[in-house]
Amino acid sequence: MKFLLFRSPLIQSFLIFFIGLLTSFSALSTAVENDNAKLSFERLSVALRELNFSTSFVVVKNNQAEPYHWLHGLTKALKNGNQTELEILALLNGPRRDILRIDETVSYIEPEYAPYSIISPYISGPIPAVFGQDVSVLDNNYHFVSVGKSRVLGRVAQLIRIVPKDTHRFGYWVWLDQQSGLLLKLAVITRKGKLLEQIQFTHLDITDNLSEHLKQLQATDLPKVIDSSSKPEESELAWRVNWLPNGFKQIKSNIHRINSSKQAVEFMLFNDGLVDLSVYVNPSKDEQRAIEFAHDGATLVLNQVINNVEVSVVGKVPVATAKKIVNSVRFVSDPRTP
Amino acid sequence: MSESKFEAISSLVDNYQATDQESEQAIDEILKDEHLSKTWQNYHLIGDVIRDEIPAALQLDLSAQIADALQDEPTVLAPNRVENKKPNNFKAKVVQLVKPLGQLAIAASAAGLMIIGVQQNVADNNEIITPNQIVQTKPLAGFANPVSFNYQQPVKAQKQVALEQRIEQQRRFQALLSDHQQQIKLSAAPVSKNTNAESQSDILLDNQLEKKKIN
Repeated sequence: MKFLLFRSPLIQSFLIFFIGLLTSFSALSTAVENDNAKLSFERLSVALRELNFSTSFVVVKNNQAEPYHWLHGLTKALKNGNQTELEILALLNGPRRDILRIDETVSYIEPEYAPYSIISPYISGPIPAVFGQDVSVLDNNYHFVSVGKSRVLGRVAQLIRIVPKDTHRFGYWVWLDQQSGLLLKLAVITRKGKLLEQIQFTHLDITDNLSEHLKQLQATDLPKVIDSSSKPEESELAWRVNWLPNGFKQIKSNIHRINSSKQAVEFMLFNDGLVDLSVYVNPSKDEQRAIEFAHDGATLVLNQVINNVEVSVVGKVPVATAKKIVNSVRFVSDPRTP
Repeated sequence: MSESKFEAISSLVDNYQATDQESEQAIDEILKDEHLSKTWQNYHLIGDVIRDEIPAALQLDLSAQIADALQDEPTVLAPNRVENKKPNNFKAKVVQLVKPLGQLAIAASAAGLMIIGVQQNVADNNEIITPNQIVQTKPLAGFANPVSFNYQQPVKAQKQVALEQRIEQQRRFQALLSDHQQQIKLSAAPVSKNTNAESQSDILLDNQLEKKKIN
């Protein structure tokens, strides 16, 4: 009897219409969520560029906490409307590591090198640089899903998940301050929901005026910018990475020496907008070595040696991804090259 | 140098002193007087010998060696000559921000020793027998089997090799990790403008490093 009911053409068409309505509605709602999430990120990016804030956060990984102090501000507009952007990021534990930025001059003060500056619109620290820019570059490879509200740092926070569209990368959970739009917490999560690394803000002050530290920075001559006027030939390397997850683009390739070991390496850097991935190739004294890897929070270091050639991958990607990449490296003259 | 001072030291070494004031006074004097502090060290050494607590390799004065080592340290890490020629406003002005330029020496030597606390995972397809498995072949019975005794030396040697390999591996990983971070920093310049610039900056950093070594 029930089946008879469904056979009626009227009811059938109604059913199809109903199902159609349902699916279109759910598609619409995710689209709306996505838009909301994107709007929040646009707000974050503006906040990171325009607010005067003084904040502290800890990076929690490997059962350790690294505390940072982070200051940002804009000077009062001059008559011609010009404002100077100032930023300081300081690691508070261990050897001193400070990053100073005045507009597009970024200075790194680190124990390994004499202080130096480079020209860059953003500092490179624990917080993904893309947050201060346009996150729509991530659209091809990540979904933005607004999940809901919770309380972080004593404030109302909106949780947004950045979900990778494939299985080759990690997801990011981002808690944003409802009031100011600024970042309150960030977590790197595997597909199975395991927490790998998180950044928890412990203090946030938003002020109208520049803080003393930033005023002092403004009066500072930063160290010399590393000269990049003469352009050497782009290093043409004799190998290729034949497989990378979608959206990873080559940022640079070169031959350099690793600072601590003095080992000369051939190097390529890739980036999908959110994740940086390094591939190293160098001769090894070992003939063969099976794949070995270690984690530093979400960052994976993986390498293997085949026929006295060591290939290494470093970046915030799952082990399976790194293995696939390592195994896809081929010398250009290699007969195995597809 | 009065006899009473030596006596005071002696009682301090033996952890016996009449009053706090007296011992404080004695300690102050030891700190001021090089001869007295030497005596203090010698008394301790004598005590160690009597108690049979001397280490296998006798380091008679560690503090002197450390001081020497520290003296050598800043030479390696001093800013290179190019910077020294110009009056460096940067250093003068950011005093509060970048005050511990002197600390850099210590910081760098510490950084050299840093090895990340990685949870190390040997890949699943690794078929090499690990030393752990060898150790487990020890007899399960409660008494020592004379046969297993013969195997202890090679096991130990193998363990040692494995440990060295582990340390070597940690160093390798740490070096890669730091370099990865460094490369990201140097690549932060806008890509569209100048993709070749970074390799140049690498070379410059390399040079900078070489110069430091020479200095």
